[in-house]
Amino acid sequence: MSSIKEYLSTDHGRCDELFASMEDAVTKDIQSAKEAYEEFANATERHFQMEERVMFLEFEQKTGMTQGPTAMMRHEHAQMRNLISDMGEAIDDKDKDKFFGSSETLMILMQQHNMKEEQMLYTMAQQHLSADSERIVDMMNSMIVE
Amino acid sequence: MDFNGLSVDQAPPISAPIRFFLTAPLFAILAGVLILFSDAASLASRHSIEAIVITHAITIGFLSFVMFGALTQMLPVLAGVKIAKVDFVSRLSYTFLLSGVLSMIFGLWLNIQILIFAASALLGGGFLITIISMLLALKNVINFTPSIKAMITSLIFALLITLIGVHLLASYGVGNFSESHLFFANTHSVWAIFGFAGILIIGVAFHILPMFYVAPKFKRFCKQRVVLLISLGLLFWMVLNLFLDSYAIVAKIWIITFFWAFATTVHIKLNTRRRKVSDITIWYWRSASVFMTLGAFSWVINDFFNSEYIVIVSVMIGGGFILSIMTGMLYKIVPFLVWFHLNAKGYMSIPTMNEMINKRLATAQFVLFIISLIGFVVSFFAPYLLSLSAIAFIISMLILEYNVISPVLIYLKTIKTKPDFDMSMFAATTQQQK
Repeated sequence: MSSIKEYLSTDHGRCDELFASMEDAVTKDIQSAKEAYEEFANATERHFQMEERVMFLEFEQKTGMTQGPTAMMRHEHAQMRNLISDMGEAIDDKDKDKFFGSSETLMILMQQHNMKEEQMLYTMAQQHLSADSERIVDMMNSMIVE
Repeated sequence: MDFNGLSVDQAPPISAPIRFFLTAPLFAILAGVLILFSDAASLASRHSIEAIVITHAITIGFLSFVMFGALTQMLPVLAGVKIAKVDFVSRLSYTFLLSGVLSMIFGLWLNIQILIFAASALLGGGFLITIISMLLALKNVINFTPSIKAMITSLIFALLITLIGVHLLASYGVGNFSESHLFFANTHSVWAIFGFAGILIIGVAFHILPMFYVAPKFKRFCKQRVVLLISLGLLFWMVLNLFLDSYAIVAKIWIITFFWAFATTVHIKLNTRRRKVSDITIWYWRSASVFMTLGAFSWVINDFFNSEYIVIVSVMIGGGFILSIMTGMLYKIVPFLVWFHLNAKGYMSIPTMNEMINKRLATAQFVLFIISLIGFVVSFFAPYLLSLSAIAFIISMLILEYNVISPVLIYLKTIKTKPDFDMSMFAATTQQQK
């Protein structure tokens, strides 16, 4: 069983792969890129919810830090959700410039967010929640996206 | 557990890095103008006053400004730490460095002793304030990744070259040069290029290339050992230079092998990246990789020609490699910072990053920059091309200044309007945490 840090970091990598496939699909033909977009958007939403509904809650409960790093990460999730939704609209409008404008911004936002999580938050979470690591990964793994 | 200083949630104010980024191209323009006023024969020697002044307009005025701006921004993201009183430190170090580098340029160029002494003190102060405050912040890191170790190593080299630089510059002020002046000058320049800038670029690339371009990760050996091996090579080079100068080439080959390998690795990673989108930053990474390879071979070959071609090597590595990467980075980081800070203030209807910089102007800037670099190399053999190359360089840097100022103007214009959402409640909550 992987640790919380390994599990969520690996999931970042999976979302990045789907992001690249989505951009490929839009470059080739924006008309038929919706499927690749949905795949990326769903995987990313699942990742956000695994954090917001499971890991962050456990972290906040254990440390009492409800307005600390997790609050900022939730805020950045909201920023990313907006950009992902803009990208969906751009695909519907068949507007490549608008799509790549948002996707470039999302990529940088997403990666600096991931760096902060992998460098700081996951390391802190692993330290605080190591005893419950297996249970938390199980919960994230079996979570149903709302 | 002590989490003081850890800053997963805190970005520095936009002005802290931006003031460095907007100033950098201005020094490159000034360097170009100074080249126009120099004769080719003086610039062919790296020890001429003209060559020293122009080199430092670029290395301090452009490269160090961009590196310090970027580090200010990246420390919270890459290392999870923040510089204490970041706004104050940024203003103070900027003031010292700006006045210091101007004093150095005009002091040396016009031979005004008092300015040279002032430059030595101001630059020493500016660099030390920045470097020490960053090293103090890095003490709080809880997860020392290879990138962070590279940053720390790079800053230690920066600290050492600052101390040597202060001594060298003061020697010009006094007009009295010690016997070891040349040894210090060589150590200063080689450690600055490969120890400070080179190691920082390699360390940041461990993260940047795989993450932003979805490229294959760097091998464990690269991440764990290369920075250490380069640092040992730089120390070895210094020792040989001091005691066994005729064997210094062994250490040069040692150092340059890693940089050549890095340049090749960058090329391979870009070719195998999953994210196929190509933009100006990718072109800059590619040009950096080509110039580093050429510069690496030239540096070694130069030894067989009594260092006659060292200026060409400097243009290739300093301009082609380091300046390329720094410029490419500006194209990403400035529009992103503008977007990020506006969005965080509640502005939702703002231009995307791609809309903030005119693509054609960015392409024109890149092409002129590459032409000017090739021109500088060729003008070593054909001096009549020097002025034309300098003009191409000046225009390229004027366009760069325009390109980085454009997003900032969008920022300034937007914050005068009312945000789409009121984020003050949120700001108050996060402020309480601090």
